[in-house]
Amino acid sequence: MTAEMANLFIDVTWSVAIQMMFLGFIGGILSGFIGSGGAFFMTPGMMNIGVMGPVAVASNITHKFGKAMVGSKKHSELGNVDKKLAFFMLITAAVGIRLAVWCMKILTGGGGGHGAETGAGANLYISLVFVIILLLVSLSMLRDILRSRKGDETGPSTRIVNFLDKLRLHPLIYFPVADVRVSLWVVLICGLATGYLAGTIGVGGFIGVPAMIYVFGVPAAVAAGSELYLAMYMGAFGALSYAFEGLVDIRMTMLLFAGSLVGVYIGAYGTKVVKEVIIRLVTAVIIVLCVISRAIAIPMYLQQLGVLHFDPAYNSYFNSASKAMLYVAGISGGALILFFVFKAYFQRKKIQASLTAKIPEGAVRQFSTASA
Amino acid sequence: MQIICISRYSYGYGKELAEKLAAKLGYECIGREELTDQATASGIPVGKLEMAIMKRHALSEELAIEMDRFKAFLTASLCEKALNSGPNGGIVYHGRTVHLILPGLTHIMRVRAIADMEDRIEMAMQRLHLTREKAKSYNEQVDEDIRRWVRFFYNVNWEDPSLYDVTINSAHLSIENAASALMHMAQLPEFQVTPALKQTIEDLLLASRCRTAIGNDERTREVKATVRAQKGNVSITYLPRHSRQAQYIPQILENIQGIRSLTCTVATTNILCIQEEFDPGAPSFQHLIEVAEKWNAAVELIRLAAQQGAGSAVEPEDHNAPLTERSAKDNGGILDDVPDSKEELGHGLPEAMNKLIQVGRAGAVHTVYGGAQALEGRLSKTEKYSLIVVGDVFMSRGAAVQKRMKRDLISLLIDHIHVPVIGTEDLKEQYLFGPKQWLETIGYAIASALLYMGVLTYQGPILQFLSTPGTQHRIIAAIAIGLFAPVAAFIIGGLAHNILKAAKLE
Repeated sequence: MTAEMANLFIDVTWSVAIQMMFLGFIGGILSGFIGSGGAFFMTPGMMNIGVMGPVAVASNITHKFGKAMVGSKKHSELGNVDKKLAFFMLITAAVGIRLAVWCMKILTGGGGGHGAETGAGANLYISLVFVIILLLVSLSMLRDILRSRKGDETGPSTRIVNFLDKLRLHPLIYFPVADVRVSLWVVLICGLATGYLAGTIGVGGFIGVPAMIYVFGVPAAVAAGSELYLAMYMGAFGALSYAFEGLVDIRMTMLLFAGSLVGVYIGAYGTKVVKEVIIRLVTAVIIVLCVISRAIAIPMYLQQLGVLHFDPAYNSYFNSASKAMLYVAGISGGALILFFVFKAYFQRKKIQASLTAKIPEGAVRQFSTASA
Repeated sequence: MQIICISRYSYGYGKELAEKLAAKLGYECIGREELTDQATASGIPVGKLEMAIMKRHALSEELAIEMDRFKAFLTASLCEKALNSGPNGGIVYHGRTVHLILPGLTHIMRVRAIADMEDRIEMAMQRLHLTREKAKSYNEQVDEDIRRWVRFFYNVNWEDPSLYDVTINSAHLSIENAASALMHMAQLPEFQVTPALKQTIEDLLLASRCRTAIGNDERTREVKATVRAQKGNVSITYLPRHSRQAQYIPQILENIQGIRSLTCTVATTNILCIQEEFDPGAPSFQHLIEVAEKWNAAVELIRLAAQQGAGSAVEPEDHNAPLTERSAKDNGGILDDVPDSKEELGHGLPEAMNKLIQVGRAGAVHTVYGGAQALEGRLSKTEKYSLIVVGDVFMSRGAAVQKRMKRDLISLLIDHIHVPVIGTEDLKEQYLFGPKQWLETIGYAIASALLYMGVLTYQGPILQFLSTPGTQHRIIAAIAIGLFAPVAAFIIGGLAHNILKAAKLE
């Protein structure tokens, strides 16, 4: 490996490979269970292993491209993909990704300074975006859960949808699968934000899916399917863009595949056997823990940039604490999901499902029956 | 027992038309508002349900159960009134495409009443004392709400003309003349009730009464139950997590008249199997049970018979036309199409049902007479099936014709029901694990091993290739990544999927 490459790419030891597969597995479970890409866990996890932020994002987005291609095919078969909606969002999502890649390029060397030599500037930038966006998402999810527990609301708020309906920002476009009519401008802005975040922190679904549900009024299943379809193209575009910049570490992508493609099927199975409110609660708690994990690492990057002044030896503590918190989030979330999945799996084996009962008065059995 | 459904706009003239038509025919006229009020009085939160749908909220599980209760209430009310009207009577309903809640009742006369927007604005201005602009906006908003409601409730587009037999436009036809025309149209054989249709009404009534009883009882109010009935045989499926509450179901249904047998099945989903003859010993039936066990699904059986009383199905010339329509011509519109019970219970249906009960996967059982379209009319668009499996149908035809007609039937179901539909012959390959899948898995495993060995053995050269400067080189590297990533995902994903499938974890 040349010095430049050694600066960008880490050595893959057995320990790194196992950690990467573990990250992929937990990310896959979370992804299958909560419907997002799982990058909110994998990207910081990779950074904790020592992968430079932009390389982590680039490798993750390449992994997302392949995974979304497999997933969107399934969703298409179930009629959950509004290709027209995905196409319109894609137009500006591509611009958003390019913008994100450009920002990242500046922070990793193109602009000099910004801690480029250590990657601290890029890492700080990614961490800040990550903390702000996912904190907002998790808090709104927790608020939704509390509201639904009180029983005064029946689902996601439609205040934004109703407000935009009244504004009637022409041209309005009808999306037949989702069965909604949305202003072109709103779609384009949401596409831009989704693309930018997918390109910056590798987390597009956390913005794309809520945007479709809360801003466009799209049914949840169609939002998830369409976002995955969009993610496939965004992932492709992101992967090509980062590959062109030479930031994709294909080894990392392959190791992520090894864990995530198993985890995603197990997580998806979990959605069939676990109550929706538990799915949302588990998701929100995991995201909050991931946000805390990333927030713990921020002082380290600030120190590397010279903004904060303390003994650099403390950085290893920050890094360890961040890593520990992330693993607590991922392992506890993953374990919880696995617990529900296998509980249901073994319960199913035990259930003698068919129970027959006789109506005492005037019952004439046409079929012989068997009781459990 | 005739049923006429008029779908109308707000401040169109649908209500007036329905009242005039009912008066001419001597039928009872029922309005949506009337049934909605009754449902609300019986404890169903219809207003909350409407607000949730209008405001595009995703329904909570509690509200989805209330929606089921409301559907059951509407079905029970309409079927009861239709049956009470006697053989020469009937009902005229005006509301929103309610005929879709009554699957299988092919004799319903489905009318759509439309009116000139200006007339509707005029009427809204007079009745609500609104300005012209506000009346127009009011009508547009209500139309949008109805559109959303119909989409949500029935999963169809309200404006789709294929949902109606006739559209009446008040701009060119007075209420009086429209009612006269509809009265004459109602005499056509296609809109007369037959004994088989009467039986279907009774089945729907029994099923909806059971569903209502389950929903009205405090102990089972929260149970998400699907209820089917055929000739007094009631089949109920519910989710595993409701098993504790569901134990009260037999007790709750004790006093409901007309139940001959009751089958309760714990299932998270439903699989529908359509065949002409059932053989519980056939490998395809065993595959069906295996898939149902894997998915924790209840299996609903539909026997598709094209001719009542015949040993095997004989398709009409136009296989899409319901048989009742063709035969009606020879019988003055009244067709004795209720098969005797021996006929009904033949064709392996009871044996197949018994087998399903033994393995704990029993769903409902039906017989549908007619071709593909009769079947499609029977299946509700809002029904939640995970899979529809089509076995041997149209068996009286030659092998090639049978194959073609089955393919057409599968295509029709895919287009209209929007769930995966496959033939029984593909069941094993698609959803079960056999020698072919083992071979495929070995192939994926070898390919995956080669990929990992290649990437990890030649790490240096690969990274060198991916990060070498130069525009031309970078473009080649990007293309290589663009091609490699999906191929790797496909291979590794295929391996993971197959392994989990073998472990019955999917």
